[in-house]
Amino acid sequence: MTDAGDTRSVEPAANRPGPVAWAGIFAATCLLLVALNHILWLVIPALMALVLSYMLEPPMRRLMYAGVGREGASAIVTSVFLVLLMAATLALLTWAGARAEDWQAGVERYLRGGAALLERTLAALEARWPAFARANLAASVTTWLSEYSNTFLERQVQPLAVSILAWLPAALLGPFFAFFFLRDGRRFHGFIARAVPNAYFEKTLALLHEMHQTGRSYFTGLVKLTVVDTLALGIGLWALGLPGAWLLALIAAVFAWVPYVGSIAGCLLVVLVAATDFPHDPAIAYWAIMLFILVRLLDDFVFMPATIGKNLRLHPLVSVLMLFVGGAVAGVPGLALVLPLLGVTMVVGAALSEILTDGRLWARHAYARRLRAAQDAADLA
Amino acid sequence: MLGFLRPARGSQLEDLKALSLFADLSVRELKIVQGVLHEREYLAGEVIFDEGEQGNSLYIVRTGRVRICRKGRPDSPIAELGAGSFFGDLALLDSAPRAAQARALEASTLAVFFGSDFLALLETESKLSNKILLQLSRHLGRRLRGSVLGQRAEQHL
Repeated sequence: MTDAGDTRSVEPAANRPGPVAWAGIFAATCLLLVALNHILWLVIPALMALVLSYMLEPPMRRLMYAGVGREGASAIVTSVFLVLLMAATLALLTWAGARAEDWQAGVERYLRGGAALLERTLAALEARWPAFARANLAASVTTWLSEYSNTFLERQVQPLAVSILAWLPAALLGPFFAFFFLRDGRRFHGFIARAVPNAYFEKTLALLHEMHQTGRSYFTGLVKLTVVDTLALGIGLWALGLPGAWLLALIAAVFAWVPYVGSIAGCLLVVLVAATDFPHDPAIAYWAIMLFILVRLLDDFVFMPATIGKNLRLHPLVSVLMLFVGGAVAGVPGLALVLPLLGVTMVVGAALSEILTDGRLWARHAYARRLRAAQDAADLA
Repeated sequence: MLGFLRPARGSQLEDLKALSLFADLSVRELKIVQGVLHEREYLAGEVIFDEGEQGNSLYIVRTGRVRICRKGRPDSPIAELGAGSFFGDLALLDSAPRAAQARALEASTLAVFFGSDFLALLETESKLSNKILLQLSRHLGRRLRGSVLGQRAEQHL
């Protein structure tokens, strides 16, 4: 007879970590960011593999449900994904290669268009507010922009291009890792659980499950958020009459994976397009900025809480604070990684806090150790 | 070290089939269950779970014997379970605290079915999980009849 008598549905005890645990969580997140920033060549493919495994797990389970073994199912879904990826890459390279020269001319055209919009806007500001004219706002900004753009290629683009080329081979590891995550993830899960003493076993299972759910919720939430952002921006940009509205919306939504900085970069891209394609109607560019601000607000208050925020359960103040810390500690990668990392360290910290403060678990473990010692020494007396 | 790569053996499936909870499962379904079960070994006298503890797993006795009792009253057991029995089943259904303590009477090997794994099976393997739920329901029904009729619990396992 087991667990009999008490049929109430009781909510689990609120085992929220205390201030010491929170301090540890923040410290661990910062330390991990610093460490991960030095091994981005491994972190990027590992994250890609994790996202891939989350996305490929449902079709893999369908195959397993149909009778295919785990090994076969993981090989099939990974192979199909690789074939589709190679086909898409080949098609994209062929298409892009045919337009390489047009693109270079196009980039320069859009940059000139953006610069022209900026000059017109500054001139309009100086005309409206004489204080700006007295401060030579237009001349100052134009000079700064000119100096910055002259060295932009050497200071920003070239190092970025070298980094991308250096990371490209590592990125190919992503599908490779994903296959093994899918095939052996379950067994590795059991391997970790077997290493834990009996007293902590159930809590460890719960912790591993929570970690998996947190990561999965974050990344699937991110994909959903990308789709929602693309739709919201796409509708707005299409209504404004921008060419390639949906492609621009998709690019901006992907840029938004990097909090704040990515959104600004996406907005900048759209403004450049609007300023160039509508040179005599700067209002289009201003409406595009308003659209981005509106979508940003919708993201923060509606879309993100409904997708990512729902499962991370982060206080908005903590989210913003950690974004600044992540950016300060590890730059752009820190901005992108800090929230999922914080979600995982929160789960681990809460579980550790619960385990370390539970005297009964310690007592049970110590008792089990005494029993084992007595058993091992049984015939030695 | 790479033991987690070891595949399931046929004899393990036969052992699972012998358990009342998995009696109706096919070979394919047993392999799926085999993949989600964890095996733990407990020494005689070792506590498996405590009364009042948050439970999230069902335990199946593969070998040995387990005593179910109220905390602080080990001499007045509620039940003693042998190989093939299971306990902690309500943890699969809700997150209520454990209503009793479970302690190994002798060196025992238990198979552990984590609640979240069972919920995942409900989504992806509905036929399999329905079979398990049916066995679980029959067990709970027997236990309820035993409580109502006042008979000893182990006669209904």
